[in-house]
Amino acid sequence: MWRELRTLAAWGPRSLCTAPGATIFALSSGRGRCGVAVIRTSGPASRQALRSLTAPRALPLARRASLRLLCDPRSGAPLDRALVLWLPGPQSFTGEDCTEFHVHGGPAVVSGVLQALGGVPGLRPAEAGEFTRRAFAHGKLSLPEVEGLADLIHAETEAQRRQALRQLDGELGHLCRSWAETLTKALAYVEAYIDFSEDDSLEEGVLEQADREVRALEVALVSHLQDARRGQRLRSGAHVVVTGPPNAGKSSLVNLLSRKPVSIVSPEPGTTRDVLETPVDLAGFPALLSDTAGLREGVGPVEQEGVRRARERLEQADLVVAVLDASDLASPSSRDFLDTIVAPLAHPDPSGSSPRLLLVLNKSDLLPAEGPHPQPGPHPHLLLSCLTGAGLDGLLGVLKKELAVVCGDPSTGPPLLTRARHHHHLQRCLDSLGHYKGAADLALAAEALRTARRHLTQLTGGGGSKEILDVIFQDFCVGK
Amino acid sequence: MFSLRGRGLWVAASLSRQHLPSARLSGDCSAPGSPHFDVVVVGGGHAGTEAAAAAARCGSQTLLLTHRVDTIGQMSCNPSFGGIGKGHLMREIDALDGLCSRICDQSGVHYKVLNRRKGPAVWGLRAQIDRKLYKQNMQKEILNTPLLTVQEGAVEDLILTQPEPGHPGRCRVSGVVLDCWGLNQVLHAKHKFYPGRGFTSVVPPPASQAEGPEFDGRYQKKKKKFYLCAVLPNPMDGSAVHAESVILTTGTFLRGTVVIGLETHPAGRLGDQPSIGLAQTLEKLGFVVGRLKTGTPPRIAKESIDFSILNKQTPDDPSVPFSFVNETVWIKPEDQLPCHLTHTNSAVDAIILENLHLNSHVKETASGPRYCPSIESKVLRFPNRVHQVWLEPEGMDSDLIYPQGLSVTLPAELQQKMILCIRGLEKAKMVQPGYGVQYDYLDPRQIEPSLETHLVQRLFFAGQINGTTGYEEAAAQGVIAGVNASLRVSRKPPFIVSRTEGYIGVMIDDLTTQGTSEPYRMFTSRAEFRLSLRPDNADSRLTFRGYEEAGCVSQQRYNRAAWMKSSLEEGISVLKSIEFSSSKWKKLIPQVSISTSRSLPVRALDVLKYEEVDMELLAKAVPDPLKKYTECRELAERLKIEASYESVLLCQQQEIQEVQRDEALQLPEDLDYLSVRDVSLSHEVREKLHFSRPRTVGKPKTTKVKNSNTEEEEMAKQHYGLKKRMKSFD
Repeated sequence: MWRELRTLAAWGPRSLCTAPGATIFALSSGRGRCGVAVIRTSGPASRQALRSLTAPRALPLARRASLRLLCDPRSGAPLDRALVLWLPGPQSFTGEDCTEFHVHGGPAVVSGVLQALGGVPGLRPAEAGEFTRRAFAHGKLSLPEVEGLADLIHAETEAQRRQALRQLDGELGHLCRSWAETLTKALAYVEAYIDFSEDDSLEEGVLEQADREVRALEVALVSHLQDARRGQRLRSGAHVVVTGPPNAGKSSLVNLLSRKPVSIVSPEPGTTRDVLETPVDLAGFPALLSDTAGLREGVGPVEQEGVRRARERLEQADLVVAVLDASDLASPSSRDFLDTIVAPLAHPDPSGSSPRLLLVLNKSDLLPAEGPHPQPGPHPHLLLSCLTGAGLDGLLGVLKKELAVVCGDPSTGPPLLTRARHHHHLQRCLDSLGHYKGAADLALAAEALRTARRHLTQLTGGGGSKEILDVIFQDFCVGK
Repeated sequence: MFSLRGRGLWVAASLSRQHLPSARLSGDCSAPGSPHFDVVVVGGGHAGTEAAAAAARCGSQTLLLTHRVDTIGQMSCNPSFGGIGKGHLMREIDALDGLCSRICDQSGVHYKVLNRRKGPAVWGLRAQIDRKLYKQNMQKEILNTPLLTVQEGAVEDLILTQPEPGHPGRCRVSGVVLDCWGLNQVLHAKHKFYPGRGFTSVVPPPASQAEGPEFDGRYQKKKKKFYLCAVLPNPMDGSAVHAESVILTTGTFLRGTVVIGLETHPAGRLGDQPSIGLAQTLEKLGFVVGRLKTGTPPRIAKESIDFSILNKQTPDDPSVPFSFVNETVWIKPEDQLPCHLTHTNSAVDAIILENLHLNSHVKETASGPRYCPSIESKVLRFPNRVHQVWLEPEGMDSDLIYPQGLSVTLPAELQQKMILCIRGLEKAKMVQPGYGVQYDYLDPRQIEPSLETHLVQRLFFAGQINGTTGYEEAAAQGVIAGVNASLRVSRKPPFIVSRTEGYIGVMIDDLTTQGTSEPYRMFTSRAEFRLSLRPDNADSRLTFRGYEEAGCVSQQRYNRAAWMKSSLEEGISVLKSIEFSSSKWKKLIPQVSISTSRSLPVRALDVLKYEEVDMELLAKAVPDPLKKYTECRELAERLKIEASYESVLLCQQQEIQEVQRDEALQLPEDLDYLSVRDVSLSHEVREKLHFSRPRTVGKPKTTKVKNSNTEEEEMAKQHYGLKKRMKSFD
């Protein structure tokens, strides 16, 4: 059989380490923007977590605050300079080995550290109330404290429920649930094959069907993980692309927003020919601001290349800032731009994958002080003068709102945690599916599927072995 | 009979009174002639025999009460033991020194490990068993067990006394009342003390037949080695047997009804009387009773089957024994019997569908098993399909064939007609028709994980009475009930197998926390920690605990398990310590393509993970330290299995610890869930908890996983709330 040809070589050590008995981590301070955020870990891998984030420095002295540069252990990218505490058990809050990271409170930093921790083997995001549970289990809470425990945990459970609800509202929830169902079915097929195939006549090709389901799920997960980069955006910054017809003032806007002369500004159309990137803090959010060549046809090969790159960059944008010359809205280049770029973006397709749009009419200083302002069609827009700075505050306000949507606003809920959890579970699910394919031993293959399913059901809730048996009995005629 | 029944009713009815009249209830334990035992086991089926033997192994004076001694060890349904999931149970029973695995090694006629190609964690040890041999060997074993007495008798009622303080339960059982009128005789074995072996029921034959009041000649004839003295007791005094603990293993006998076609008649098994009085007593005591059904296929005359046109299945060579203490089974592979495979067809479907009106069993509301279904339910649920029928030998010299998969309750003549439609059975003669059995079971959420009931102290249930099906499930519960009944007598803590330790734990946890609405059968997919709970390592999971905590394991078995454990540990550390570069490994074992992607040295343990590598091959490459680990075949195989699962087990261990931590948080046994204050529990959840009485905080949690979302939320609430209570109860 084809399955037998597979080897166990793919099984590395700790390849399935996703156990809930593992080390947990969570943002312990209040969510949202604040001066200092505290991220805690608890469990046997805490030491490992601290070491891998603070490498190559040695473990700090126990119970002493030390300043360390935190780096992502996978990419090596610096995350933040932070105070770290090493609290070996049992003299810690939970009684286990604990660490605390006191990082700068920006959402990008917090998200970055959480993601880095999620990448350390043996670590997973904590469930609500889990720290308290562990503390209780290790006898760290005395009777008066325990008296309040039920209420406390109830509150946390409520928070968790709301969090899960919010997270599973809408499209993503549907997706997760349908994936979990697919996986339950695939698992049921494998389990039926293990428990019943020898004694009863299961249909042919049960395993092959499970394999097909798993392959399809894998593709879906990969594309989802690549696609939904909300978490990624926070760390490297949201991609804000400034575009528009030539000479609308894109480079001026970029310079204004970044408060430094990034691009050469000249009255000559087509000055900017390449994509110029600059990381900026836009209204408190990290962003990667791209200045692009003005979009027009048929000027020299160099500028054409610039236009091609500009369009390419538009495809990758999270937020498109379309700049038009307020005094020149009737020109063919402006009209063309409004029709081909702005109109499609203003009516995004329902999949939600297209970037958001902000329409800015520059050079408001050139408009007559009185009289009706020109209208760029039905689209909402902002008036701005890069020259005088008029309208900049309004623009920043709107930018903040838009970026909050793109990055997930930390003050409206716990999306940082949610996102880390989400990403963690989906990634582990995908890893497990990889193990499934690599396993020659069906018990191991089924275990990999179970692990994968557990990660999905931790996002969606529900799902025990009874469900699997129900599917088996529904779909197969099984007997001894 | 009336007076006894009346007494039973009175006892049950009086329980609701505030003050129990103890003098009348407790009976007179010291009355001369009224026998007294530590543990009384009611029922001599697979649960009963294991329970009785286990209690005796633990050092309790034990009495096994059965309708008929000659049905002890009877396999009432299929002539086989083990299978997928069930084989795991067999190994676990054996690890606790239970009987059935060893007896199967002496009685099988066809040994085969199922799921060979699917990985050692899901191997299913199975054997076709010679019914007669099994019964003989089991009776020999039971009648030779020290401290164990066997007596024929039908239990009609329970003797109840006031409850012991400090334990839940409305009353306490202190013995059983026998229905002397319903039986011809009651056997009572005389005890004899053998130095070094304790008491035993083996007694030499009386000098003359006249010595005993009556003598049961049946056993004397069958086996020369053991004899039973039959004593007909005084009908009034002898009707009570006093006991410290009582185990009920009533099988399908509680209000059992046998169904063939439209005919039904009360019977626990074809030809055996059901227990009705006991069922009534249990119901009156307040036990929630449900009804289940099961069935058995017709039996076919062997010589009337044309095997030549059917697919033949041959046994394994070499045979894998069930028991850890056996190197091999009693019979050589070449002497074993084959099984044959045939299939149903549309003609079979037609007969079933046309005659549904003659088939009352199928229409009944009682739940039947979904996984060992009757042919009728298979045809109804999955029409136009072909279903397998295995033709299994019933024994070495048996003329009968058991058609596995053909369980049916049609009228007998239609069964014969149906059989004739099947390939190979065109001329087959039906010797005994298939029939259905409906019987009472008690909701297993009313028992503790020790199998003691919540309602009645020191009363234990094991086997089908708890809603399970299968010999192995029954036997496994029997061992646990026997051990715990004995531990209870000696006031030791109960012996509970966790979900993380064995399939036995999974089964009992499922039953006691979730109950069951259909006959419960073991599957490998029920076990979360399947990769750790393997047939090969059952001894290292359970034997030590059985020896140290329960005392049900012999020294010899303990020594063997200890040797195996230390050898395995040593072997694994040696395998870890041998490290070569992958190119060196390639030179040493050229036939295996060892991955070269790693520049790090490769451990011998990692090489052993490759499918094509076994200890034999590895020892040839590195003979120096490894040769000695291949001398014991079992050790070599187990090293290979440990290596294959090493990386995954490392992770599973964490998970297991998490579960065990929750399980360690005990809830007080006498917590009154209905009145406990300061915990925000809905009335519904209170009732549920009151009914199922979770022992540990881990219990509601496991339940939580399996419940629907709303229930889950409530269960979570209750879980945390209870923790709080638990602390304040300290």
